[in-house]
Amino acid sequence: MRFLHSLRGTNLPATLGVVVIAAVTLVLPEVLNPPDLITYVTIGLATVVVAGLSLLMGFAGQVSLGQAAFYGFGAYAAAILAMHGWPPLLALVAAAAMTAAIAGIVGALLLRLEGHALAFGTLALQLIFLSVISQTPSFSGGPIGLTNIPALSLGPIALSSYRSYAYFVWIVTAVVLLLSRNITRSRPGRGLRAMATSPSAASAAGVNVVSYKLRDFALSAAYAGLAGGIYAFFIGYLSPDAFPVMLSIQFLIMVVVGGLGTVSGAFVGAAVITVVAQMLTSLGSAPSLPAQLPTVLTEGVYAVILLLLLRLMPDGIVGFASRVTKRLESAVPARRARRQAVAATGSESVLGPPAAETVDGTCAGRRQ
Amino acid sequence: MSVLVQYLITGVSRGFLFALLATGFVIIFRVTKVVNFAQGSFAVLGGFIAYSLLGAGVPQGAAEVLAVLASAAIGLVFGAVTILGKMSPTASLVTTIGLALFSEAAAMLIWGTTPLTYNGLSGHDIRVAGIFVQPQYLLLIGVSLVSLIILWLVLDRTYVGKAMTACASNPYAARLSGINVKRMGLLSFAIGGALGGIGGVLIMPLFPITYDGDVNLAILGFAAAIVGWLRSPGLALAGGLIFGVAEELVAGYWSEANETAVALVLMILILLWQAHRRQRVEKLV
Repeated sequence: MRFLHSLRGTNLPATLGVVVIAAVTLVLPEVLNPPDLITYVTIGLATVVVAGLSLLMGFAGQVSLGQAAFYGFGAYAAAILAMHGWPPLLALVAAAAMTAAIAGIVGALLLRLEGHALAFGTLALQLIFLSVISQTPSFSGGPIGLTNIPALSLGPIALSSYRSYAYFVWIVTAVVLLLSRNITRSRPGRGLRAMATSPSAASAAGVNVVSYKLRDFALSAAYAGLAGGIYAFFIGYLSPDAFPVMLSIQFLIMVVVGGLGTVSGAFVGAAVITVVAQMLTSLGSAPSLPAQLPTVLTEGVYAVILLLLLRLMPDGIVGFASRVTKRLESAVPARRARRQAVAATGSESVLGPPAAETVDGTCAGRRQ
Repeated sequence: MSVLVQYLITGVSRGFLFALLATGFVIIFRVTKVVNFAQGSFAVLGGFIAYSLLGAGVPQGAAEVLAVLASAAIGLVFGAVTILGKMSPTASLVTTIGLALFSEAAAMLIWGTTPLTYNGLSGHDIRVAGIFVQPQYLLLIGVSLVSLIILWLVLDRTYVGKAMTACASNPYAARLSGINVKRMGLLSFAIGGALGGIGGVLIMPLFPITYDGDVNLAILGFAAAIVGWLRSPGLALAGGLIFGVAEELVAGYWSEANETAVALVLMILILLWQAHRRQRVEKLV
């Protein structure tokens, strides 16, 4: 009975989908060849970054255009600490913490401002980061880059193969997604959800809006720093070119594709856009074609995806899918539909379900 | 001394470019509450269109005016995509990012990746405060100043300008008194496009522009706009001049590689100062 009780408030088909995806991705590294393993790790790391950015955009209603800077900062911090003799795992944790601290300092003031000051502030942060990295060769390798970054080791186990990194990234991604899911369902999560629907109402109900936004922002930076740190150990070579402004925009597009504020959308968006980006690059880089074609294609397709999705599926693929299933469900007998409607309100999307009273009285609002 | 004057003149003319972009940010934000990330694209596209028109034999002057009109039309289209229909502020910002990406892709496809420039105002260098200045600098400063004054007169003295101000201060009341708020929003985007276009066609003879120049222009324009807290066109002009001169002095006396980074640090400091100031005001209220 206890088990059944814990299932109440979860969406059964969605839970099943998550279990299937988790199982498939867990088996996948065994059968993938090395180039595909790189894609696998890339998707996992992007999922971690996007999970944080999605929480920030979906709940705090703030846009960060510097997520690639946090990613890059985490990468450089982890690499430099590890090269100075820190145990790699400790360096990784420290990198994530330092990234969160920077976001905390910047966010503490910027988040009080309206008019998307954070978007431009973080974009400025990214350009400053790139400029500083390029001009401190003694410390960061400068434009040439940082080489000889040691491999990641967990105590006695050193991650030496792509496959071992793939498993490590799977674990990290799973932990980050679970943590994000629990955050959205905890007391702070309910506060965040209230804030997403109406900041002034949430504030009146006793939610400290600035503090919640700040924690949301610091968490998103910590995720990005963590993913960046793993990237540094995985690739073993860092240069400023790896963290362009375009990467920040790519993370943003992944959020929009997956759906703002959805935890499962982070994975969907990261996987779809990573694969699309690779397809466009290989499509555009045939030898007879002009050299700038891959960039034109990528930017053009990203732009079209952004503009169309915001119009046609404002809650992303995941939100769209859950709305379609809901519409299908409304066709089946009323009793079953009512039971599922109660179950569906536990869905983690803030933007997905239309406003509905749930069993425990919280309101899953749909924000316009 | 003459070196300093040179830096100041260059800085002030770049400052007017930023001020034009910043005023576009302010006009659009006041009326629509949209922060238009594609503001820099107007300047890039305007400049490039003028380049192509001049290449096609359109006489100097006419080409620039046509390019500014084209920028206004682009602004109108961008406005239609962004504000028609209902969207959250986050979705609108992301939409304008999509439009900026689209412009970059289009610019790269049509004009390629090399920096473009064309000859500006011809004539002998003019002697100002002991040094010789290209007439294009003075043209940039003069035309920008006149454009901003005309805009201010339109906003302050005409029915349309007052209607726009009404939309800025209270959209509901504006709608009740018969003002079409969406149409005013579209108009603000067209004005933003024209201002960006003016900046683009005037700066291109002095500083070549590449297809991806829009991000830097947008961020420096925004930086100038936040000096007046996205609301005051006058302070946006002051902000533009501060950033233009600061950038030029850093480039001149320190290193060109640092100019943007220093300007951006300055921008973050201004953001922090604004946050601090506004917090104090809230406490007083």
